[in-house]
Amino acid sequence: MTLSLHHFLMLSAIIFGIGIYGALTRRNILGILMSIELMFNAANINLAAFNHFLYPDRVWGQGVVIFVMTLAAAEAVVGLSLVLAIYRNIKSVYTEKLNLLHG
Amino acid sequence: MERTIPTLIFGLLAMLLIGLSLVVVTSRSVFRGAVALTGALGVVAGLFALLGADFVAAGQLLIYVGGIMIIMLFVIMLSQRPQDHLDRQTNDQWVWGAFFSLAIACALIMQFRAVYRGIFVTTVATPTSASIGRLLLGDMVVPFEAVSLVLLASLVGAVYFGLDKEDRS
Repeated sequence: MTLSLHHFLMLSAIIFGIGIYGALTRRNILGILMSIELMFNAANINLAAFNHFLYPDRVWGQGVVIFVMTLAAAEAVVGLSLVLAIYRNIKSVYTEKLNLLHG
Repeated sequence: MERTIPTLIFGLLAMLLIGLSLVVVTSRSVFRGAVALTGALGVVAGLFALLGADFVAAGQLLIYVGGIMIIMLFVIMLSQRPQDHLDRQTNDQWVWGAFFSLAIACALIMQFRAVYRGIFVTTVATPTSASIGRLLLGDMVVPFEAVSLVLLASLVGAVYFGLDKEDRS
């Protein structure tokens, strides 16, 4: 049995489903951020797998993976500093406490 | 025999990745979830290496495991109270959340099985760093420069949100 493209695609679909479950059901903002990172990684596995199996002589898929990783780093930095600012204001990181936009 | 070894490695990495991801979304302690997420990101770097993407695998380890996860662990340690691990960590919609995520995953899996079955690779993987560098500074130079602006904006935003209220004005 040799590795084929749909093995990688099915694995990334499973990881994406787990990430959606976490993003929908976590109470903690940090848990939601971690689930979003899981979904990013599922998409990255897809990009690298398509690059490897369909266009092995080109590297566009890997270039896009690098951009996704950079943007995920930027998103994580801003999101985590927002979490710290929220925690400083309302002393909680649970989403049901975040029902007012006015700090 | 040479064909079964990558399959064995893939099976091992896939089981590790699914298990660690389940720990990430279900564990009661967020810190334990973050440690499991660190392991899951390392496993994804292994999958990249299996796919012949050596530069991306190294970048995954450096950026995700070495950068993002360290910041996340620090923020978790700064924002947790001692009694947090006794609280319930899921909201009231977890049944519907499980239903929808299962539905989405099953739809994706069926679609992938139907369309992309039996595509094998015939070429041998070669080092990709040189061609990625040529791609980033050639065809992808506009998004490359745009990403540098985004990074600058996110740095300024992080410093601004990190300031105290009195210092902001």
